[in-house]
Amino acid sequence: MGDDTDARIAQLQTQQALLTQAMAAALEGRWQGAGSVEAYLYAIAPDMQGQLAPDPPSYA
Amino acid sequence: VSTLDLGPQLDQLDAQQKNLTDMLRAMLEGQWQGAPPSLEALLYAQNPTYVGQVTPRTPLLAGDAPPDAEGWYAHYDASTVMPPQPNEWCCSACALDWVLRATGAAPEHTVEEAIAEIGYPEHINPTYGLMDGSGAQLRRVLAEEGLSSSQGWLSFDTVYSLAGSTTGCMSGAAWYHWVGFRGQSGPDLWIANSAEGYQGVYSILSRADFNRLGPFSVVYLEH
Repeated sequence: MGDDTDARIAQLQTQQALLTQAMAAALEGRWQGAGSVEAYLYAIAPDMQGQLAPDPPSYA
Repeated sequence: VSTLDLGPQLDQLDAQQKNLTDMLRAMLEGQWQGAPPSLEALLYAQNPTYVGQVTPRTPLLAGDAPPDAEGWYAHYDASTVMPPQPNEWCCSACALDWVLRATGAAPEHTVEEAIAEIGYPEHINPTYGLMDGSGAQLRRVLAEEGLSSSQGWLSFDTVYSLAGSTTGCMSGAAWYHWVGFRGQSGPDLWIANSAEGYQGVYSILSRADFNRLGPFSVVYLEH
């Protein structure tokens, strides 16, 4: 495979790992703050910073 | 599989990954069902075989939680003691201090602290008492303690109505005296008076008193 393909696969793998961690955070109810869905979203798509309007589930 | 064959597949994976990211965003933003970009719509885009097969349930969202309707009112004690004022000019500080204690905003608050917070001697002093009769400085201190307030030169009926659901401070221009208002007492106002007996008023302010001693600037709490 070419370097470009390798790079794209590597990026997809990284994103998939972050998505998986974000899903785990959602399952554990961590929506905002360190290690949260919001934090992982920013890691996956930095351009979302300042664009999100969180309204997460309430566990009260 | 040749490198050339992988291109379209990687493009599809890219698109799916982006869709999954958008799904997470929809979850975080509380868009669980309905038109795009809801989680439901994005899920169907990701896998059209889910259409008609899933039964979405939206969780209770933080934004759906009722506001803190109770707030200070849950802690309000209309019977909170109002001690006699320690000098002739600090009635406004006494009224402010009483509101802060009665609402639970600052249960251990003192008149001395109120004088300092209002601003001695620029805003309150022995010569004039409270400098701004509208109560602007009282409102500032209340806000600093987390209590939102409004102010108006109000009629007896308006104050009587307010006294059924909130508290605050008020001052009669002809009375030249600030008191807290605790609530209603029959047809009268039940007040927290740091100078009981002054101008013939103790803990009850009647409509006649109100008309005799007004007009009244009223600072009342919102909740």
